[in-house]
Amino acid sequence: MQLTTDDGVRLHVQELGCGPPIVMLHGMFLGNMATWYLTAAPVLARRHRVILLDMRGHGLSDRARCGYDVARMTRDLEAVIEQLTREPVTLVGHSYGGVIALALALRRPELVRKLALVETPLPPSQLQEMDAYVGGGLDGGGLDRMLEAFPSVVREALVGGGRRGRRIAESIRFLWLESSLPDDVRRAEDVPDDQLAALACPLLAVYGSRSSCRPAGARLARLVPGARLVELPAGHYLPLEAPGPLTEALASFADG
Amino acid sequence: MNDRTQGQVLADVARMIREVIAEEWAREASIGMDTSFARDLEIESIELVALAERINAVYGREINLAEWLAAKDLGELVSLRVGQLVEHIAQCSSRPTTE
Repeated sequence: MQLTTDDGVRLHVQELGCGPPIVMLHGMFLGNMATWYLTAAPVLARRHRVILLDMRGHGLSDRARCGYDVARMTRDLEAVIEQLTREPVTLVGHSYGGVIALALALRRPELVRKLALVETPLPPSQLQEMDAYVGGGLDGGGLDRMLEAFPSVVREALVGGGRRGRRIAESIRFLWLESSLPDDVRRAEDVPDDQLAALACPLLAVYGSRSSCRPAGARLARLVPGARLVELPAGHYLPLEAPGPLTEALASFADG
Repeated sequence: MNDRTQGQVLADVARMIREVIAEEWAREASIGMDTSFARDLEIESIELVALAERINAVYGREINLAEWLAAKDLGELVSLRVGQLVEHIAQCSSRPTTE
């Protein structure tokens, strides 16, 4: 299914299962709805209506050159929710997808029943993995460093050098060199403590013990009343690195 | 859902794979039960999702391809063959539906 944003970007959306709605958001650059479709989504779909989307520039959605700032992407998410459901949703977001989920929960609390943030960097601009893997340069020199920072499954695809690797590299090259995404992420402002403390819905925070984002999990647990923090022995790419335990944590939070 | 033979399912799935890949070479590529999604077709994970979307639309939700795919670990997904998918669909579509 396709939905079109008010600035004309076509977003690819898929639904699984039925029940109370869950909307799942992926991270930037490497992410798309496959992040969740091939991991947690089908398990959650046993008891929920799971809505998956390819955010602008990713997966099968349009390759937008701009509009990756928190405000614009939050409007994209808001539009998807309002077009597809009339009840508040559980929002799950990985990495920058979590930044967008959090922004919507703060701006439109009536739309969000529960919030699960997975490896969400706070401040949003502080995602060292991004600079490590893309900042090294896409045209030769930094390729080795970039490969080292990727999750092994992506590394293998790129090293293979075949069609799949070429397509992933092309997608990252577009986002890094031809879209406003890197600048938009760098410019994203932190969420002040008092806003986090006023978060109105139940919060689950899942972080990797080897990730640079880990302090954000501790901060959420300290500031958000009743927040549940789960740490898994993995890095930033939790849906790929620890799909089983992550799915378990999300399912128990969504069901509870 | 009507019963479908494995051969019919393979023909359907091969057509849908060609549509999802949407590249010149795929139109001519031979796609059989032993074709590997990763090694032979070099399909991306998002293309696997797009394929699942098409298969669900044609064969109905009882196929539950998402859950079938998610039950596989990354190694199994990487070595997935077209034949495994075809057998799963043929099996599900020959089962009487309870809905």
